Amino acid sequence: MEYTISTIAPIVLLPFFAFVINAFIVKRFTTLAVIISCASIVGSFFYAARVFFDFLNVFSADYYIHKTFTWFDLSYGSFPFKMDMGIYIDNMTATMLFMVTGVASLIHIFSTYYMHDDKRYGRFFVYLSLFTSAMLALVLSENLISVFIFWELMGFCSYSLIGFYYEKEGAGNASMKAFMTTRVGDVFFLLGILAIWSVVGSVSFVDIYQAIGMGKFNGLYALGIPLATFAGFSVFMGTIGKSAQFPLQVWLPDAMFGPTPCSALIHAATMVAAGVYLSLRCYPLMEAGHLTTFIAYIGGITAFGAATIALVQTDIKAVLAYSTISQLGYMVLGVGVGSYNAAFMHLITHAVFKACLFLSAGSVIHSLHDHHTHAHVQEMPRMGGLKSKMPYTFLAMLFCTLAIAGIPFFSGFVSKDRILGDALLMALDNKVYWVPAVLGFGGALLTAFYMFRMMFLTFFGEPRDKELFDHTKKETLSWNRNLPLLILSLFTLGAFYSGSLTGQGFIKVAGEKYEWFQTLIEKPNLLKFNNKESQAFGFASNPSSETFQKSKYDSNHGLSAEKAHHVHHVHHIGALISIVIAFSGVFIAAMMYFWRSWNPGFWVSLFSRWYRALQNKYYFDDLYIKGFIQKGLLPLNNFLAFVDMGIYDRYAVDGWEKVNRVMFTMAKWFDNIIVDTVAVDGTGASVRFFNVILRTIQSGKIQFYFIMIILVLTGYIWTLNI
Amino acid sequence: MFENTLFFLSAALCIIGAAGVVFSKNLMHACVLLLASLFGVAGLYAVIGADFLAASQLVIYAGGVVILMLFAVMLTGGSSENSNKFGIEKIPGMGSTKTYVFAGFSVLVISFTILKLMANFMKSYTKGELPAFSSTVEKIGTLLVTDHVLAFEISSILLLGALVGAAVIARPRKG
Amino acid sequence: MISLSSYLFISFTLFVAGIAVMIARKNIIAMMLGIELILNSAALNFAAYTRFINNNLEGHLMSLFIIVIAAAEAAVGLAIVIRFFQIKETIHIDDAAQLQS
Repeated sequence: MEYTISTIAPIVLLPFFAFVINAFIVKRFTTLAVIISCASIVGSFFYAARVFFDFLNVFSADYYIHKTFTWFDLSYGSFPFKMDMGIYIDNMTATMLFMVTGVASLIHIFSTYYMHDDKRYGRFFVYLSLFTSAMLALVLSENLISVFIFWELMGFCSYSLIGFYYEKEGAGNASMKAFMTTRVGDVFFLLGILAIWSVVGSVSFVDIYQAIGMGKFNGLYALGIPLATFAGFSVFMGTIGKSAQFPLQVWLPDAMFGPTPCSALIHAATMVAAGVYLSLRCYPLMEAGHLTTFIAYIGGITAFGAATIALVQTDIKAVLAYSTISQLGYMVLGVGVGSYNAAFMHLITHAVFKACLFLSAGSVIHSLHDHHTHAHVQEMPRMGGLKSKMPYTFLAMLFCTLAIAGIPFFSGFVSKDRILGDALLMALDNKVYWVPAVLGFGGALLTAFYMFRMMFLTFFGEPRDKELFDHTKKETLSWNRNLPLLILSLFTLGAFYSGSLTGQGFIKVAGEKYEWFQTLIEKPNLLKFNNKESQAFGFASNPSSETFQKSKYDSNHGLSAEKAHHVHHVHHIGALISIVIAFSGVFIAAMMYFWRSWNPGFWVSLFSRWYRALQNKYYFDDLYIKGFIQKGLLPLNNFLAFVDMGIYDRYAVDGWEKVNRVMFTMAKWFDNIIVDTVAVDGTGASVRFFNVILRTIQSGKIQFYFIMIILVLTGYIWTLNI
Repeated sequence: MFENTLFFLSAALCIIGAAGVVFSKNLMHACVLLLASLFGVAGLYAVIGADFLAASQLVIYAGGVVILMLFAVMLTGGSSENSNKFGIEKIPGMGSTKTYVFAGFSVLVISFTILKLMANFMKSYTKGELPAFSSTVEKIGTLLVTDHVLAFEISSILLLGALVGAAVIARPRKG
Repeated sequence: MISLSSYLFISFTLFVAGIAVMIARKNIIAMMLGIELILNSAALNFAAYTRFINNNLEGHLMSLFIIVIAAAEAAVGLAIVIRFFQIKETIHIDDAAQLQS
């Protein structure tokens, strides 16, 4: 099948049309709207699966599709101002499409269970459709401007979804906070796009890679810093905002005000994944700007810091939110230490298990209904012992927890271990990287601990709120509740992502040894983009087996044998350390919350100051509100208000009124004398005059008209110079 | 030889018929002469190998349009009185001196104009060689449903509209 | 002898005859005869040009469409004439002047 823009477009347009249609019919035909939403995303999933399996069939890291059309072209002479839109699909995009549509479909299906009794049941699906289509469009985008457009669209959707329960106190503020915080990153992102435009003259990814490959950024400085660094930093600030990295992580925990399926969508498939996806797309830029160390530090700090905050949370969704930030930190760490495909792999595996975790949490929360306040219960201290009530949810959540904690044979281990192994490798090469590497390993320990703490507090032990426990119904299997959980928890197994169960070796599939993730996902190859003119660029049609031989698995990834051996060695050490760390984290959690032989309260009293700091999220919110907003923004706003009211209004606007009065008098005279008397009445008179003449010609005799026509035509032809 | 003969016959029929339409005093005669002229045009089509066009010309014009004209002539001339209630003759005469003067003047003007336009073509395309005859029906059919399918469909809608319109306009009404 | 010029000349004759009929007659049906003549001259032109100059079949198609349009025009026109006759009992062209007040 030949892929063109129009054959790819249904992936995006199906959910989008679902949004458009549902926006009109949702009030009257809620059930129909829900069916349209679900059907459209499932249809989109089948399209994406087709694309994904086609790419898997080609099995070549170099294969990609790049099709554009001109959006507008305002070029004038040698000054180029041309904007293309289009699609850019490589293996990474295809995998993302598959993941996003798949996870989103399952979330849609789960939402029919979770949101069914909500009074804005239909509207939720309207937002979901728009959200998903924006994410899909972002993934397919071939340039930064269109990425930015859909990026902002997703910002809007997250705003509406976080503020979905707008009656709830704090939901409106939380949505505003999410919107404004990501906006800080977006401003930088736009700045970065402009910087790139100023150098490359285009914002297409292909052109950017090509420009970097040709060294266009070399020797360019802005404000004393290299332009590549500036552009890379600005684009990375977008990632920081969207993916909730270290200085701007404050919005993501507050995003928990939204319904749980929407949290699953934001945390797994769409919003935060977009940030990491962007930094992966712009990886050559980061590399050219020598930003990798900085990125690794940001990632390490986020991974560890968020994990520490998650230790003390009591809200089940808050734990998951901080674990998301922490895992995103791992992805960014992976970008920073140059393990491109591991970072992307963690993005995919995390999307799957985090979606499953949130849906399971949703399943738990939905079942726990407080009869006094008529609200769902999210607090872990009121849970406990729920294993007997909801065995299926428990199993799904257990699988995902094993995955996120990094237990072998599960997907989280495969991807996270690769990132940590690469971090260790970089640390051995360069001492600067020790800090992120150690933070990463420490974060892994904490992750295993707090996730199992959550499991033990929720599902094991005695029920702490007896009344709530007794009111909870026993879980019965229902397709829209358990099917998504089942599928997602199945895909937490590592074998789907790596060729092997442990993630370190490879297995034989159909007589060929390969491991698709490692083989297919490669850094954008700058050499490939260098000689754009010499080869047929944007080849896409007909991936026949003659042109694309199934590439053989290269176990060394292009490294020399000695180097590869060293890399494998370090990775084995890293894997060993991760396994030990994961199991010790689980062990500590079990000692504290399962066997109860260690008392958590003792540790809290030992580190009481730290405990308070963690409960207050390291005082980031206070810092932002007291420091930046009250000290900086409010005085500035007051000053601006004074300028507006006191100076501009008083002098400029009122002064202008006086000028206007004089002009008005003059204009009135001009209007009365010149326009009315001369022009208007004169026109009337002239019309009357010509009317008298023309009336005689209009005789009503058709033959006379014929003669007139002939004369006019004749006169016209005789004036021609034939 | 046959072609030349056919060409001369058709051209003569065509021009004489046209002239007859211009100068005939009787409307019925004019219709029949128009039919002759159209036959001539069909013959001219046949000479240049447009067999389908010639056939359509014969079928549609001779079989359809001219018969329609004759019917209209008959339907409008039925009564025995020569003038209607306004005192104007029902079937006006086929022209007066005044109109013929105007017509002759216009014909002169238009003749000179068109001859000026055609002069170049006359000079540059005086000779044309005729390739062997081959049927055009198949090709025209193919073109109609491939390249010109839109025009084809639109003309079908036009014909439908004309059919319905003619029926609606001409149907007898009370009052 | 069978050349573009001769065809153009014949079509020219038809056209001029049509114009003359259109101008000289006061009878609506007679004027429609003139219209038929003019349409035929145009169709003949198309056929001749396509035959002698670029030798494809586009001109034939154009002539065909002209014939179609002529048929439609004749049907509707004659319907209008008959209706007009039913109302006014005349087919004098100068009587069809109700819209001119």
